[in-house]
Amino acid sequence: MNLRRAVLSAVMCITTLFSATQLFAADAKSTFKVGVITELSGDLATGGNITKRGYDLWAQEVNAKGGIDIKGKKYKVELLYADAQSNPAAGAAAAERLITQEHVDFILGPYSSGVTLAVAPVVDKYKIPMITGSAESPLIWKNKFKYTFGTIPPINFTGAQSIKTLMEMKPTPKTIAIIGSNDAFSKATAEAYKTAAEAAKLKVLKFSIVPSGQDMTPLLSAVKSMKPDIIAFGGHDEEHVKFVKALRQIGYTPKGLLMHCGITDKAFTDAVGKDGNQIFGTTCWTGTAKTTSKILWPNAAAYAAASQKAFNNPGDYTQGGCSAAGIAFQVALQKVGATPGMSEDMRTKLVAAIEQVDVQTFYGRVKFATSGEFFHANVGLVPLTIQIQGDKIVTVGPKASQEAAPQYPMKEWKSR
Amino acid sequence: MKNFTARQGVLAFVVLALVFLPLLSSDTFVLRVVTEAVMWVGLAIAFDVIAGYTGYLNFGHGAFFGLGAYTVGILMMKAELPFAVALPAGGAVAALAALIAGFPTLRLKGAYFAIATWALSRAIQQLALNMDITGGPDGMRLDAFLNPQFFYYLMLGAVGGTFLVLWYLLERAPFGLKLKAIREDEEGAKALGLNPTMLKMQSFILSAIPTGILGGIYAYWITFIDPSSTLGDLVSDQAVVMVVFGGMGTLFGPAIGALLIFAFKTVFWAYLSKFQLLYLIILGALIAVSVVFMPNGLWGTMLKRRNTVRREPEAP
Amino acid sequence: MELLPQALVDGILLGGIYITIAIAFSLTYGVMHVIDFAVGEWIMFGAFTGFYLNKWTGLDPFIFLPVIFVMYFVIGYLVQPIIHRVLSGTKGNPFLMGLVFTFGLAIMFRGLALTVFGYYSNSIPSMFSEGSFNFDNYGISITIPYVRLVGLVYALSITAILHYMLKKTNFGLGVRALAQHKDAAGLMGVNSKRTGSYVYGIYVGISAMTGVLLGCILSIGAQMGNEYTIFAFFVVVLAGMGYLAGVPWAALLLGMVQSIFMIYFNPSHTLLAVFVILYIILLVSPRGLFGKGV
Repeated sequence: MNLRRAVLSAVMCITTLFSATQLFAADAKSTFKVGVITELSGDLATGGNITKRGYDLWAQEVNAKGGIDIKGKKYKVELLYADAQSNPAAGAAAAERLITQEHVDFILGPYSSGVTLAVAPVVDKYKIPMITGSAESPLIWKNKFKYTFGTIPPINFTGAQSIKTLMEMKPTPKTIAIIGSNDAFSKATAEAYKTAAEAAKLKVLKFSIVPSGQDMTPLLSAVKSMKPDIIAFGGHDEEHVKFVKALRQIGYTPKGLLMHCGITDKAFTDAVGKDGNQIFGTTCWTGTAKTTSKILWPNAAAYAAASQKAFNNPGDYTQGGCSAAGIAFQVALQKVGATPGMSEDMRTKLVAAIEQVDVQTFYGRVKFATSGEFFHANVGLVPLTIQIQGDKIVTVGPKASQEAAPQYPMKEWKSR
Repeated sequence: MKNFTARQGVLAFVVLALVFLPLLSSDTFVLRVVTEAVMWVGLAIAFDVIAGYTGYLNFGHGAFFGLGAYTVGILMMKAELPFAVALPAGGAVAALAALIAGFPTLRLKGAYFAIATWALSRAIQQLALNMDITGGPDGMRLDAFLNPQFFYYLMLGAVGGTFLVLWYLLERAPFGLKLKAIREDEEGAKALGLNPTMLKMQSFILSAIPTGILGGIYAYWITFIDPSSTLGDLVSDQAVVMVVFGGMGTLFGPAIGALLIFAFKTVFWAYLSKFQLLYLIILGALIAVSVVFMPNGLWGTMLKRRNTVRREPEAP
Repeated sequence: MELLPQALVDGILLGGIYITIAIAFSLTYGVMHVIDFAVGEWIMFGAFTGFYLNKWTGLDPFIFLPVIFVMYFVIGYLVQPIIHRVLSGTKGNPFLMGLVFTFGLAIMFRGLALTVFGYYSNSIPSMFSEGSFNFDNYGISITIPYVRLVGLVYALSITAILHYMLKKTNFGLGVRALAQHKDAAGLMGVNSKRTGSYVYGIYVGISAMTGVLLGCILSIGAQMGNEYTIFAFFVVVLAGMGYLAGVPWAALLLGMVQSIFMIYFNPSHTLLAVFVILYIILLVSPRGLFGKGV
């Protein structure tokens, strides 16, 4: 009897919980319900929480201004988070929950490409538009999902710019060693650098992919013996720290050290201190980017200031991309005059409107490709090469966006 | 006798509820959650065949799941075979892997077996990360066939079938007793004329087949697989926790353990997601505390209590 | 071939790091027969303690090693009785229960650490972490980073101290008796509970100190533990579980394999090679490299 009672009460518990949330779902139609699927826990939680900051800041700013103005009436936004737990299956379940239980109007997407790939078919099925402010694997766009967009250009679109900037240095670099960590994003980064280097007639002395999280000292010893002018590395935050420390420990200073965007995050410069100085990075936005906009923040600096105030962190290109994703929705919603509780017909119109978005934001120009290998990725931005100079991150390339002359070659580790 | 019927009643109710759920609720999210819960029940009971009944802790259980998933993915996307052909192949590949790996590995005992299977599954994960046909770290995308009812009934059928087969083999046929004999005393079992090597192999393969098939269903259902989600530690870790929490060496124990832990996880995830870190803390503490106070697991403890209650009137 | 000396040196230095991760872990297994899944989390807690002590005082983190050892010794001493209770149960499968118990601890610790320390990676600065010793003569060029050398010295000293403690002290005699036969040792007057607590305390203390070292050489983060748990298992199993004298050799082998593979073969296959080698050695010699595991 005990067992039956236990089972019954368990079943009742669960049903009560389910029905309780149904009650909350019934809400006035004066706010847009925005689903957010991102990695709030698990291996990728660091990145997931950066996307959360971006989405939060957008919602906060929109609501501070009274909401999104649609045909003279203002609609606030409410973010409903669902944790993807760094796991594609949880991401798909999160999408299904937000769509069928919470009846969200549209979705702001995950940090990682893996989760995005599992979520995209689900939003396609329910015809709910999604813009991700972070995922940038070329694989997503090749699949041509109808309802999925992204504000960050794919790495094979941005990587070439950094190599180009480095090729303008004097003396011109002749050789490069490229290392990438064996995860989807880092490997794609390393490959993008390799393609760009080969195109620029830079001799690739070494191209290696290493398992994630490993101590790379032995590999760097081998790299050291080849004396490359440039070392380029694709990895994640923790690996960036290890990489710089390993180079410092074995005492090899390349003329130029290129890493991906993770270095723009304050956490990286905090961790490596003065050794971070003069490292190059690839990105498409910084807090000092020369952008002007009529929506929410007038320029990048205003955004960075707002972010600093809200999170004590000026924000990086991922966070900015996430806020820009919100703006893209905002613009499209205004264009079609959509109100909360959109019909399927309206959502189809919304997708068509997102495809036509071409707007200047604090993040730069947002315009999604509508054909080709970058289908639905933002190709409006200008990729930037940045460098850490002292305690600042400055844009050093391309020429039109330059804030300071690049420092090259890099100062020896031991004379710092 | 009264207890027995109560148990049967509950069981019949659960089975009926599961079979008719898609007709009662059109909510696809509920269906998805229950589908996944059923999947975990299947993974937990399959894990328990080798761990609980035979006494060999397989930390590479997730590898069978991943092999099944990748087999289905590769056969469907590269060889363009239909799912109906790819899915049995997923089970077959898992069985084959168990056959090849089991022969040398099952000679090891205790912690050594646990670590060897774990090393092997890690090696398979690294292999998937480095091969072209698996898509490396990018993983694979399968064509989407998003029919919740189809996957629900498929999962339910696969797990239900597994449960019945295992129940017959382990609880009704002599096979289960033979396995338990090996678990308690392998040398003694040999003296009784049993062939432990053969029996262990059979049990290992019996554990692998359903796991591979569930992996295959998972791949087609979720439409995206990559080395970290299907070949990582997730499946093995969860299976260990569910089985130990529920009660090893039984079929109902792991099933209940899987349901409760999955329900706890899902409720936390869906409705208390702001406290995601608290979830880790509570889950960890729950596991530790349950081991201290319920070494036989939930089901084992319940059975024991009932047995003692029942025995009392019989005492003179 | 000119890289070979450097490859060997890198392998040895990496091996030194693995010794520090695995040596105390092996000791606990020998005495308590528990596979502690939380080993990486003890390392992580130690690393963060070192990080904050350095941040608050500005002193070199290596100065705090004794303080950290004592702190974590006490914590380990207090936690052990619960594990002892789990392991000495007669119900179920105590070995498995011990393992699952520490698995639960590891999850809980990770959750706590993420709550308190957040998600970001960091690094512990030390006066040793910058320079390196360079040898460049006779066509051979070798670089030895100071901080890794310190790591190796630390590893060897810990090994020597543990060895001395086990072989030359009364306490060590008790520990060895306990490892050989729990009940008989009890009859001979060894207090198995208290000795177990001391051993577990020593293990947690050493692991925490190792965390500081790893923070200086590599990086720290709330989720770093898992990675080190993997290597601790690897080394301890390869050495033969509980066979302390095998640990340095197994650690060196692991370091060497990684170093040689990264330099001479395809680096992306490094971990594949590591796991395949572990598996094959287990099959060929089921009780570790020397066949002396328990």
